[in-house]
Amino acid sequence: MSNPSAAIRAWAQRLLAAEATHQPASDTHGHEVIRVCEKLRVSLTPFVGADGFTVLLRRALALSRAEVPLLQTIKVTAGGQLERMEAAPADSGQEREAAIAITAHLLGLLVTFIGESLTLRLTRKALPEAPDLIFESEDVK
Amino acid sequence: MSNGQSESHDRVIIRQLPTGVPGLDEILGGGIPEYSFNIVAGAPGCGKTTLVHQFVFANASLECPALYFTVLGEPAVKMLRYQQQFTFFDQSKLVDSIRFINLSQFVLENDLGAVLEEIIRQVEAHDARMVVVDSFRTVVRKVRSSATEMELQGFVQRLALHLTSWQVTSFLIGEYVEAELRDNPVFTVSDGLFWLFQSAERNSIVRKMQIMKLRGQESVPGLHTFRITQDGVQTFPRTFGLAQESGHIKGQRRLSTGVRKLDALMDGGIPDGSSLLLAGPSGSGKSIMASQFIAEGLRQGEPGVVAIFEELPSEYIRRAGQFGFDFETPLKDGTLKLIYIRPLDLSVDETVYAIVDAVKQVGAKRVVIDSMVGFEMALAPDFRYEFRESLYRMIGALTRLGVTVFSTVEVEENFTSMGLSNFAISFLSDDILRLRYVSINGQLRKMLMVVKMRGSAHSIDIWEYEITNQGIVIGEPLRGYRGLTTGIPGPWFEEGDREPGEVAKGPPDSKGDSHD
Repeated sequence: MSNPSAAIRAWAQRLLAAEATHQPASDTHGHEVIRVCEKLRVSLTPFVGADGFTVLLRRALALSRAEVPLLQTIKVTAGGQLERMEAAPADSGQEREAAIAITAHLLGLLVTFIGESLTLRLTRKALPEAPDLIFESEDVK
Repeated sequence: MSNGQSESHDRVIIRQLPTGVPGLDEILGGGIPEYSFNIVAGAPGCGKTTLVHQFVFANASLECPALYFTVLGEPAVKMLRYQQQFTFFDQSKLVDSIRFINLSQFVLENDLGAVLEEIIRQVEAHDARMVVVDSFRTVVRKVRSSATEMELQGFVQRLALHLTSWQVTSFLIGEYVEAELRDNPVFTVSDGLFWLFQSAERNSIVRKMQIMKLRGQESVPGLHTFRITQDGVQTFPRTFGLAQESGHIKGQRRLSTGVRKLDALMDGGIPDGSSLLLAGPSGSGKSIMASQFIAEGLRQGEPGVVAIFEELPSEYIRRAGQFGFDFETPLKDGTLKLIYIRPLDLSVDETVYAIVDAVKQVGAKRVVIDSMVGFEMALAPDFRYEFRESLYRMIGALTRLGVTVFSTVEVEENFTSMGLSNFAISFLSDDILRLRYVSINGQLRKMLMVVKMRGSAHSIDIWEYEITNQGIVIGEPLRGYRGLTTGIPGPWFEEGDREPGEVAKGPPDSKGDSHD
């Protein structure tokens, strides 16, 4: 019921990859999943409220934990940010899977609640530099 | 797509969960919106808990677990003791798929924030997909004494936010009264508001349900009757399960009444898919003619349904047999269904459901309702006020099925005017036949008139008829009398009278509708 589709996973993967290539030297947020979530938080909070985003991210993390055991130690702060993501060992395949899982579940939840079209619109606003955000209709069918 | 994504990318499609309550999905426009936050309100004893239990048992599974919080209301032990009497109660779902959690002590000892945290903690710990708080009213009542209105609103808003974001479909049950609708934050926040009403009138209990609010989908407006049986709640939507447009076109062929001469007076018989009303005094042969209509249908391979309200089925069958109509064989063959309804607290909607169900079972083409008076008497007093409106919906529903409806109605005779029925329901009928006693030469004779046949050039004469051991037999037109419709005619003296046997030649409706 709560597993994001292959299309959403691929989209999450493209978002994370785009974020990794666009990381400015001054960015101190660390892992790209944290930066993607942070950008989404800043952009979505005016719509869904601070609480609303925090709960969605918590839900996304809870769903991801079932797939990636590494995430058992990760938490969402009261302010809606991912905590302890940096503690995971760099370059591990599990870490990559964890990042994709969280992003995909967060996007999946947004699609579930507000639909693809509106999710795309809001995500483009949050991540305007990401080149690969076009959610081709044939991808999701 | 598993995550609720729509086939169309323009807008989200909200999945609907089946309620498990017969008829309710139709009222809701498909089911309960997934992840919605709902209130079930009503007075004690009107079926709120049973309704929600039915939903939970219909949907809960190991993959889709439910949490049922009990709060200062009916203790869980008692609730389980009574609810397991219902057929929907599945013990195998308890504990793992449906988990009961008693929050009474927690609510007594803690503030709103802590109550919210505890609910969220339990929901997250069990990964619940459905949550029920029974009774939420007691939570609010307890905290209202200590919290401000804003705190209460904040609590309800955060509860809704957390439950929905956690992909939970939730129900808050509460003993509310309608006066609270205005200023209670619970109703503002909720996506769905189900109001259950119950009233006792004389010896009957009338239960009705209204969907006062349902975000995101079109529910059927108005009050819908429901009944609580050992199967739980059963609703009777005002649409009678026939919300879709009918493809049936009325009047494509004529159905024989079983009385050849009467068919001729009616321009060939009753147009199929229409509604005929046979009005007449007691003993004038209404039931016989109705039986004849059904018997003729059966003879032609058209299954039928007879709804009777006054006679017992065995008596009805026996009496039909006296006129040569064999109803026992088709009853055994499944081409005839006899519905006997007489509980005295029925709603029209329930009756129509029984009839529609029978029509579908036997594939009926002909339906007899014998009689409207008995039908009205079988209703709870509260429903009698809306009898006419309900009949309108019922006849519309049945004829939409392509069924031809033959209703009888008893009229009280007087000798100054000729009424068509005591219910002012004649406007509901496409066709009207009127039977009447008439005093001629010291004899009480019977006469028949085709008062109205929509779109047909029917006879405008007044015909004498007899009840024989073969059923109704039409005689000759009664000529040479004036004032026949009063029942006490006199001799006709004027010159230039219509020639015997003359039939309406002008526009059918204008002539056909005219009567004394």
